[in-house]
Amino acid sequence: MLTFAILLPFAAAALLAFAPLSAGASRAIAVATAALALLALVVVWARFTPGAGFQAEMEIPWIPALGVAWRVGVDGISLPLALMSGLLFVAAIAWPMEREVNARQYYAWFLFLEGASLGLFLTLDLLLFYVFFDLSLVGMYFLIGRWGHGEAQRAALKFFLYTLAGSLLILLAIIALVLMTDPLTFDMRDLIALQPVAGMDLRAGLILLGLVIGFAIKTPLFPVHTWLPPAHVDAPGAASAILAGVLLKMGTYGLVRIAMQMMRETFATYALAIGILALISILWGSIVAFAQENLKRRIAYTSVNHMGYAVLGIAVAGSAVTGHEAARDLALTGAMVEMVAHGLITGALFLIAGAFWARTQDYQLGHYGGLAGNAPRMMAAMGLASFASLGLPGLAGFVAEVQIFIGAFAVWPWLAALALLGLIVSAALFLGMLQRIFFGDRPPVLDDFTDLTRTEICILAVLLALVVLIGVWPAWLLDMIGAGATLTFGGG
Amino acid sequence: MLWALPLFPALAGLALWASGDGSRLRLGAMAGGAAAGTLVLAVLAAAQEWQDGFAWGAGLELHLALTPLSAAVAITVPAVALAVLVFAAAHEEARGLARLLGLMLIFIGAMELAVVAADLLSLLIGWEVMGFCSWALIGHHWRDRANMASGRYAFVTTRLGDLGLFLALMATWGGAGALDYAALGRLEDAPLALAAFGILIAAAAKAGQGPFAPWLFRAMDGPSSVSALLHAATMVAAGAYLLARLHPWLAPAPYWSGAVIALGLFTALAGGAVAVMQGHAKKLLAGSTSAQLGLMFIAVGAGYPGVAVAHLVTHAAFKAPLFLSAGIAGEAAGTYRLREMGFGRALPWTAGLTALAALALAAVPPMGAAWSKEQIAAAAMHESLWLGLAVMVAGALSAAYAARFWWLAYGPGGAEPEARPRWPEIAALGVLALACAALGLLWLGPVQASLPLRLPETRSLEIAASLALVAIGLLAGLTLARRETAPEPQAADWLGLPALIGHGIVRPFERLAALAAHLDDAVLDAIPRGAASGAQHIARGGRRAWGAMQADRGIINAAVWQVAAMTRALARLSDKPGEILADGLPEGAARITGRTGADARRLQTGLSHHYYAIFGIGAALAILFVIFGKV
Repeated sequence: MLTFAILLPFAAAALLAFAPLSAGASRAIAVATAALALLALVVVWARFTPGAGFQAEMEIPWIPALGVAWRVGVDGISLPLALMSGLLFVAAIAWPMEREVNARQYYAWFLFLEGASLGLFLTLDLLLFYVFFDLSLVGMYFLIGRWGHGEAQRAALKFFLYTLAGSLLILLAIIALVLMTDPLTFDMRDLIALQPVAGMDLRAGLILLGLVIGFAIKTPLFPVHTWLPPAHVDAPGAASAILAGVLLKMGTYGLVRIAMQMMRETFATYALAIGILALISILWGSIVAFAQENLKRRIAYTSVNHMGYAVLGIAVAGSAVTGHEAARDLALTGAMVEMVAHGLITGALFLIAGAFWARTQDYQLGHYGGLAGNAPRMMAAMGLASFASLGLPGLAGFVAEVQIFIGAFAVWPWLAALALLGLIVSAALFLGMLQRIFFGDRPPVLDDFTDLTRTEICILAVLLALVVLIGVWPAWLLDMIGAGATLTFGGG
Repeated sequence: MLWALPLFPALAGLALWASGDGSRLRLGAMAGGAAAGTLVLAVLAAAQEWQDGFAWGAGLELHLALTPLSAAVAITVPAVALAVLVFAAAHEEARGLARLLGLMLIFIGAMELAVVAADLLSLLIGWEVMGFCSWALIGHHWRDRANMASGRYAFVTTRLGDLGLFLALMATWGGAGALDYAALGRLEDAPLALAAFGILIAAAAKAGQGPFAPWLFRAMDGPSSVSALLHAATMVAAGAYLLARLHPWLAPAPYWSGAVIALGLFTALAGGAVAVMQGHAKKLLAGSTSAQLGLMFIAVGAGYPGVAVAHLVTHAAFKAPLFLSAGIAGEAAGTYRLREMGFGRALPWTAGLTALAALALAAVPPMGAAWSKEQIAAAAMHESLWLGLAVMVAGALSAAYAARFWWLAYGPGGAEPEARPRWPEIAALGVLALACAALGLLWLGPVQASLPLRLPETRSLEIAASLALVAIGLLAGLTLARRETAPEPQAADWLGLPALIGHGIVRPFERLAALAAHLDDAVLDAIPRGAASGAQHIARGGRRAWGAMQADRGIINAAVWQVAAMTRALARLSDKPGEILADGLPEGAARITGRTGADARRLQTGLSHHYYAIFGIGAALAILFVIFGKV
């Protein structure tokens, strides 16, 4: 089932690349494919037992000498992320194109990217993980470069090279990690159980450093986040949604899956440093976002802030091999919810930003005003997403953040207390954004600004309904994650 | 069942909002019906001692429960809201009325959640949703951007206080491993101090105490009925309620009671002074709200949370009609400048009913508010003589601004009103004003005995002194009102506090953010830019060297030749897989090469080779490492 979810988008991408289909047919095929992949994941979810380790596994030998195989499977960490990604891909693919050129290739690249992204979350083989990690870069590179606007090619190249540099470090670290095993294996389950670098000194530290830098670039954390704003600004809205919603999660997922789970002891040694990095990202991201005059840049920097919360949760969860179990569980659950919530919320925000571009080709906040009158649905959607993003209770972001804060405080009180300041800045910056776009006087050029279309409304309604559902009834998601099982899984 | 109490008004509010604008009668009936339903639910919940819970997940649970104290507030909120909603349906602008009433109902639901919460997480949820409602309601007339800015100011200020609640939540869980109120009792030392002072900050922010007071002024940009609800029944009142509710667990924290008293006393006196100086009808009342909440804080700090809640109820009964009355007078004058009013002759009913509420604000017996104020004075007197006297002075200030408000708004000015109140507005005002008078029953011994409160002992000498000060205050207020000619002093704007916050916090933060944004672009981004230009230099150097080698084949030795050949072979080897992977197609390599090439050409001719080369190097490194590792 999982293999199907990965390969189906690839196959459909191949079909679209070669078959001379019309734009409409390409779109229909792409949406259907993404929906089918999501359906496959939902079927896996229906059979999923929370807290019971890896499930829905499948293994086909590939390079036995190196211990490489086609391995797939999900646990409480990867399943929510895969489901969220699957949903977000349906949303992004179904979202109307901003510039309707080369539709067939556009959808082909999107499906290619979906295959790579789902593959990354679903694979249990470290080498395949790396391959999917790099493939996702390629897909995003072309989506930004070809269908972006402004200095799209420059931004795409910067994104590509920057994250590729990170992925090289990850590759080195992965290889170094795998070389500690005998017989050689790239099987994630074995690596988690074996803890190959446990009890080692500097080498383990260097491996962790490589992983952390690599994943920090992808996440992104301060100070290696500067590729993010230009990539977002020049990308089409739907690609931005995927970039923020899915691709950034690869960094945090890698941190959990590889750095934290496979190198428990080493991670615990350096967890405080990672936590401090996360704290700086939280504060820096929100403060810099506050000063942005460009709608997309503002949202982009809030990603730095939110992913900082997620990394803080991860650092707390991995801060010790034993002790503080309840707090660490809570922090990890919070971090996972943050990833899902950020994917849905920021995905929705970037889709809306794309809708602005499609209508006005303008992201300058100062050029907007008074749109609540003629675009009330847009106002409602963006308002809901903004309040979710600033952590209003009853919406998904709060569920994540309150758990991260509680867990973090039990381990590092000062860090958690300082991280709280991010909440206040986020509130100011999102309210400022809403105020400038939707309220006050409307500039005459915006008089015929049209509200969201029915397609756009339906897509956003699904994403935001989930944001509300997680906010008011988080138990189903928290149970699926079952962080306690993850912390103890593989002998903590 | 207790979930019904917060959820019913909230869902009814959403439904009302969704139903859209329409006739005032329909909207008013729906909103009033929802508030009445909430009132019935509150009474039932109090009578049958409902409780409830909800499994949040991840080991956290929400608990709802009622104590006698919270039951009193839970009933007061919808009772006051009922009158305010009826007034709003008749008084406020027809455009956006459904949204206004719907949001007010959601506001009531959030307040009820905060009232019935029995754990810090439920409390935080209700607490913050109230903040959202205040933002949306203060900015109700959104076409004027200044209103939204005020809403944002209110939200951010109160959220600053909410951070205290977050801190308390974190400290409680860290110290006791649970979030219910009883867990507060298991805290010691640092966690207890953090929880106690965190909650104090949160309460002070909502209640407009001390440095947080200015947001109440900005909140005056909202419609009058919103102000009435916000000050009497929700949000602001929640601050005092929270301290009273949690007093048993927080009082043991060292210095906590002293801090509560200090904060309350400062605000009671400063707020009173500000209200005496204010020339804006609603801001005068806003200053008085801060001052009255300060009195409630003093009661809690002195160890009489029940007295604080009693004053909360009497305050709700007189503050709501005063704001409604200010709305009527503001509409009649076309401005909220008190000096432009004076509708005693033109609006006799309004004037008369407002007088009842103003007498309650001034704490003139036999109004119920006078009784609760005297109880606070007695409680303060138990703490110390000076504190007791200070409370009496604050009472004199209340009398002064109450008298001044009424005289300027409804004194014999003979001004012709631009608009007259409709009958539902008068009715709502009247019901609330009569409730003020009815609360006078609190002066009766049997009624007092039936209250589940611990009351301080009152001495008749103290009451006499206090009443004398009230009389002096009334006279002073009337005198001031008659001589209302001098321009309003600058201190009337909360003693310059808003300006101080603007210059000391807001603007420096904006500058800091701009600087950070600049650094982010100029410095942090320079690292990768530097790396990129460095790589470019190396590449250029390499190209030059290669060119030199090509030019001078004579001196190429065998080793270099081999390296070059190997590089080419490696490049060939890695180029193809790179492109194949890039297109995601495992077959038809030639075709794909052409296609990807075309894609890449459209992008940026030539550059695509660089990253394929890097991709290749990555693959090569992988191979090398695997080989090395094996050996």
